[in-house]
Amino acid sequence: MKSIAEFQQLIKESEQIHIGEACSESIENIDMRPYSGIVEYHPEELVITVKAGTSIAEIEKTLKKNNQALTFYTDNPEKTIGALYASAGADFADAILGVQIINGKGQLLNFGGQVMKNVAGYDVSRLLVGSRGQLALITQMSFKILPIDAAKRFQKKPKPQQNPSALHLLLTQKLKQIFDPYGVFT
Amino acid sequence: MTLMSVSSQLSHALPKGSLILGSENTRAFECDALGLYKQKPLAVALPTDIEQVKSVLKICRKTKTPVVTRGAGTGLSGGATPLEGCVVLGLSKMTRILSIDVENQLAVVEPGVRNLAISEAVSELNLYYAPDPSSQIACTIGGNVAENSGGVHCLKYGLTVHNVESIKMLTIDGEELILSRRDKGLGLLSLMNGSEGLLGVITEITVKLTKKPALAKLVMAGFDTVRECANAVSDIIKAGIIPAGLEMMDKFAIEASEAFAHAGYPLDAEALLLCELDGEVESVEVELEAALNILTGASTIKVSENEAERLLLWQGRKSSFPAVGRLSPDYYCMDGTIPKRHLAGVLEKISELSKHYKLRVANVFHAGDGNLHPLILYDAGMPGEIDKAEAFGMDILRHCVSVGGSITGEHGVGIEKLDAMCVQYTAAELEVFHQIKAVFDPQSLLNPGKAVPELHRCAELGNMHVHHGELPHPELDRF
Repeated sequence: MKSIAEFQQLIKESEQIHIGEACSESIENIDMRPYSGIVEYHPEELVITVKAGTSIAEIEKTLKKNNQALTFYTDNPEKTIGALYASAGADFADAILGVQIINGKGQLLNFGGQVMKNVAGYDVSRLLVGSRGQLALITQMSFKILPIDAAKRFQKKPKPQQNPSALHLLLTQKLKQIFDPYGVFT
Repeated sequence: MTLMSVSSQLSHALPKGSLILGSENTRAFECDALGLYKQKPLAVALPTDIEQVKSVLKICRKTKTPVVTRGAGTGLSGGATPLEGCVVLGLSKMTRILSIDVENQLAVVEPGVRNLAISEAVSELNLYYAPDPSSQIACTIGGNVAENSGGVHCLKYGLTVHNVESIKMLTIDGEELILSRRDKGLGLLSLMNGSEGLLGVITEITVKLTKKPALAKLVMAGFDTVRECANAVSDIIKAGIIPAGLEMMDKFAIEASEAFAHAGYPLDAEALLLCELDGEVESVEVELEAALNILTGASTIKVSENEAERLLLWQGRKSSFPAVGRLSPDYYCMDGTIPKRHLAGVLEKISELSKHYKLRVANVFHAGDGNLHPLILYDAGMPGEIDKAEAFGMDILRHCVSVGGSITGEHGVGIEKLDAMCVQYTAAELEVFHQIKAVFDPQSLLNPGKAVPELHRCAELGNMHVHHGELPHPELDRF
């Protein structure tokens, strides 16, 4: 599966979808790896836009040609950037500038953008970092990048995550209802 | 519930001097730094501790009274403009710095602490709080978080969201919610940054502190054309230099600022670049040499020789708003952002718009991160000029969005940019914002009506712009 329209159709038609590697025969699966590639990259903007299935290695290779690098910790270059987005925390979110997503209703939505500063609307592109594929299918994302030397100080391994409060979890459940009202993403 | 009873409940709940009532007394709170919109609140509560904040929220929740949380009132988008019948919850009396953790470079502060007061408190420890909105003398850290404030040093040191480690906030139900950068799961802390007082009341903030740089040098470069100056911005970034600040001004802004601050700006230049390099002495010197090699096309060039000179060169830029303000009865400050590669083109567009609207405009911007601050000069005393200035501003924002930018980089949406939000987001995206609001504040009591436009407003605006081909101000050219 390689197009937004195909993803949208599948989400609309499926009762349940798992994003990532197949985990059960009875649940529809979206493997994002074929949906990969650099969408836009202007080195002087310090911004890169990539499809969610792009491997970290491919992004790093592209950036390196211009002496630039990602500004967060990466451990496995084979991983897709989308997989990292799904499990990461605030250090990763710091670099996020915008996302394109498909919600549980199959709607294609954009939050944030490709600019360094943008305070129009709630910061949904950073909110969804760490959402573990439970709220929406992330199809594309834009990052702030830096020259290799300057990027280094942001590439430290993040401190371990801690379990959030009960109220945080309750709010998370309610926020899931917004993005995935039919409970498609499992 | 009558109006009297809200006031009397508040007066029972708050100590003397923490409640302001009456039309005359509340006048000081009728607007924020965006003077276009004014409204007197029902009451202004100025609690001194979190228990009092809880009491105010409880009274407002029970009486369904809207709450407008306010810091120092320096916001530029009407985020703290009172709503009819509302209680302004002013946190400016909560000014304690609770603790400083030198080892981990953190400070725990109450929301009413001024931005600059944090840096002053840790200065002896060779630390400071990096985000520096131009109102930093007065603006509060709580307001900074609510707006996700920027400043001239964001390119290198990040926005507020990058410099907040954790917060404590109260929901409208009075429940305490602690959010940290280390939370597993959804990024609720990021969500709260820039939420403009619509989701909760922030009562405590842990901010990151930054080591002061060993050296800072400011390069000032004047150019014969705006395009050359804009290209220099891109070339500096392409060369791998991340300046601490990279600011640009057009001729009008240069002239106004020089007349005001006497910083020694070149009056014959069409555009001015201020490029600050900071860090370890050695790296600053390397970057300085690289920058000077890039800036060989400049008609004027000057490098600060000492701290006094560096601050004087900044003074012109930092006083450019009041400097431009002297030249006109009123000015309207815009805050669009664009990808940097469109800088020259967008400036040409603004210049065309200026001619067509017959309103002067001075341009200052955070060029490093593509954040424009066109200052539209107008006279509110002239019939129709306010509308004309607003239409001009809207056209600039529309153009910013059309080249892939945003309607606001750091000032927020507030009341001011509700219509412009309809340009940047689709109805489905705006609906998500409304639903997020409803999760936190189902009765819509926290700063209701701000930041996110009602969908019917966008529909009407859409109609207004295309209905029967009729446009507002049909006498004006559109392009």
